Amino acid sequence: MSASAVQTAPTAARPVRPDGPRRRRNLAFERVNPMVYVVAWLLVGLCIAPVAYIVLGGLRTNSQITADPSGLPTTWEFGNYVEVLTSSLFWQQFGNSLVIGLATTLGVVVLGVMASFVLARYEFSGRAAMYSLFAAGLMFPMTVAITPLYIMIRGLGLMNSVPGIVLPQIAFALPTTIIILVPFLRAIPKELEEAAAIDGASRLGFFIRMVVPLSVPGVVTVGILAFVASWNSYMLPLFVLNDESSYTLPLGVQSFASQYSVDTARVLAFTSLSMIPALIFFSLFEKRIVGGLTGAVKG
Amino acid sequence: MATVTYDNATRIYPGSTRPSVDSLNLEVADGEFLVLVGPSGCGKSTSLRMLAGLEDVNSGRILIGDRDVTDIQPKDRDIAMVFQNYALYPHMSVADNMGFALKIAGKPKTEIRQRVEEAAKILDLEQYLDRKPKALSGGQRQRVAMGRAIVRQPQVFLMDEPLSNLDAKLRVQTRTQIASLQRRLGVTTVYVTHDQTEALTMGDRIAVLKDGLLQQVGTPREMYDTPANIFVAGFIGSPAMNIGEFHVENGAAKLGPASIPLSRETIAGLSDADNGKINLGFRPESLDVSTEGTEGAFPVEVNLVEELGSDAFVYGQLAGGDEVAQNISSGAGQAQVIVRVDPRRVPDKGSRLWVKIRPGEQHHFAAASGLRLPS
Repeated sequence: MSASAVQTAPTAARPVRPDGPRRRRNLAFERVNPMVYVVAWLLVGLCIAPVAYIVLGGLRTNSQITADPSGLPTTWEFGNYVEVLTSSLFWQQFGNSLVIGLATTLGVVVLGVMASFVLARYEFSGRAAMYSLFAAGLMFPMTVAITPLYIMIRGLGLMNSVPGIVLPQIAFALPTTIIILVPFLRAIPKELEEAAAIDGASRLGFFIRMVVPLSVPGVVTVGILAFVASWNSYMLPLFVLNDESSYTLPLGVQSFASQYSVDTARVLAFTSLSMIPALIFFSLFEKRIVGGLTGAVKG
Repeated sequence: MATVTYDNATRIYPGSTRPSVDSLNLEVADGEFLVLVGPSGCGKSTSLRMLAGLEDVNSGRILIGDRDVTDIQPKDRDIAMVFQNYALYPHMSVADNMGFALKIAGKPKTEIRQRVEEAAKILDLEQYLDRKPKALSGGQRQRVAMGRAIVRQPQVFLMDEPLSNLDAKLRVQTRTQIASLQRRLGVTTVYVTHDQTEALTMGDRIAVLKDGLLQQVGTPREMYDTPANIFVAGFIGSPAMNIGEFHVENGAAKLGPASIPLSRETIAGLSDADNGKINLGFRPESLDVSTEGTEGAFPVEVNLVEELGSDAFVYGQLAGGDEVAQNISSGAGQAQVIVRVDPRRVPDKGSRLWVKIRPGEQHHFAAASGLRLPS
């Protein structure tokens, strides 16, 4: 993508040398301005430094941290990580996060694909309004709705339970999902639907046999986005969950940090372990996320 | 195998007052290859899609065999369709694409495999059966689309400009392949194209449409020899027929200095509305090079000579009077005439060429209605 932007760089204004403009342009391509690297690495550093600090901090002892807060570990101390990894509470909370994340992802994907299919490919009155309604959902962060949401969840008797987290999360993830998936499904050629109709597939058959397999790249994107959002979600669990054994990891980190506030190294180890899964997940699927955002189905 | 009948079939798109297809009456015989041809927006694709069940029929009926399919779902019509962009299922292999309809119909796997392999053999696709469509060339994709239709062994094949995404050479090749395949399978076929050459070369019969109205149906020979009106005359044939409006004087059409004699029947066919004028058409290949002074010969100013090896075409203007020159049109545009000449003896640019219409190869149309007059 960036290559096409670079190609538009002006070459006409430059004096054309005897060996031709082509060579000249190649040189321009090869020699990248060093400032680009400086800025790029600066930004990378800004993003990575806090993470690196947390991860490396977990590998030091408290005395090392007190003596030199920003130094590298002098002796590698794995005890903090081992302790966290052997504690049942960490795994309990890890499991809670995983269950909630997977349930949210599943709900978002299933409902999102179905709703997007209808919005993308059915003609009915009020379709545009319905699409706008979903789009409008983007404007309301959970923060705004948290108090009524809390009352509602309590009224439904879902306090301190997995559905109490999963259902609102699905609802809040649907606008993004639908906005990504609707254009994606709209791009499936109409002829494909007609060919399937002539071949004997019903509308539902077309959905199951064509739309679902063809929308996999888009579904992967929204699935990952939903999972990572759920994994990192803090506020909703904070309101809904009130028992340490049902906490998700972000809450666990918080309570662990207040519990062991003096043991900085251990807190750092706990924190890095809780954020690493989401980080790995994101880096692994980074290509597919972008693919799902840009890729349309080719006929 | 079955016949196809359009009985006053009409389609009006929502929000439009003018019908896209206006009371189409057409019968396609069992095993016949019928080509629907016309300029874009003439309703040919709509007619085909009505037969496929992809468009509603607002009034009239469509029958396949003796069965009224007007309100039947596409899947129950026992038809197969080849789309312009092929509409192959991108996530399925070639074999799955071809066998999809049978799979939906719940046929046993061995039968599907066998029928797919038979079709692949006919179309020379055997080594591609496990590939995905995107790993195929345009021509191969086209064949897969054909294969998907063949595998179903339907009553009717519908083809919507299946060759327009191929390059020129492949199009000519595939054209003959499709035509011979259709003859071999003997399945009734309705084929839509905007290319009159395709229509003439492939069809048993051709139906020409314009603005949703059927203009003429007939064999390629009939369409070429006796076009029913000016539109068909100008549409069928390449390069297109030269057609001009001329005054009738003393039983002859005045082409500048020349008089083209008209028969008694032709004159009798003229009405008051024609205002003493007649439309005269002659194909580029119906002209013989002649000399000045020959009866019925008229001069053409040569603007350009197009040499094709086997033929040469002279593009020029009718000489002798602006009015006469302006009132004629041909495949090259207004005020132009095209003459086919011997490629070994081409006239020079700017010279004056005397040509004469070969007897019996002129076409007459009424000036007012544009309909064919007896000759």
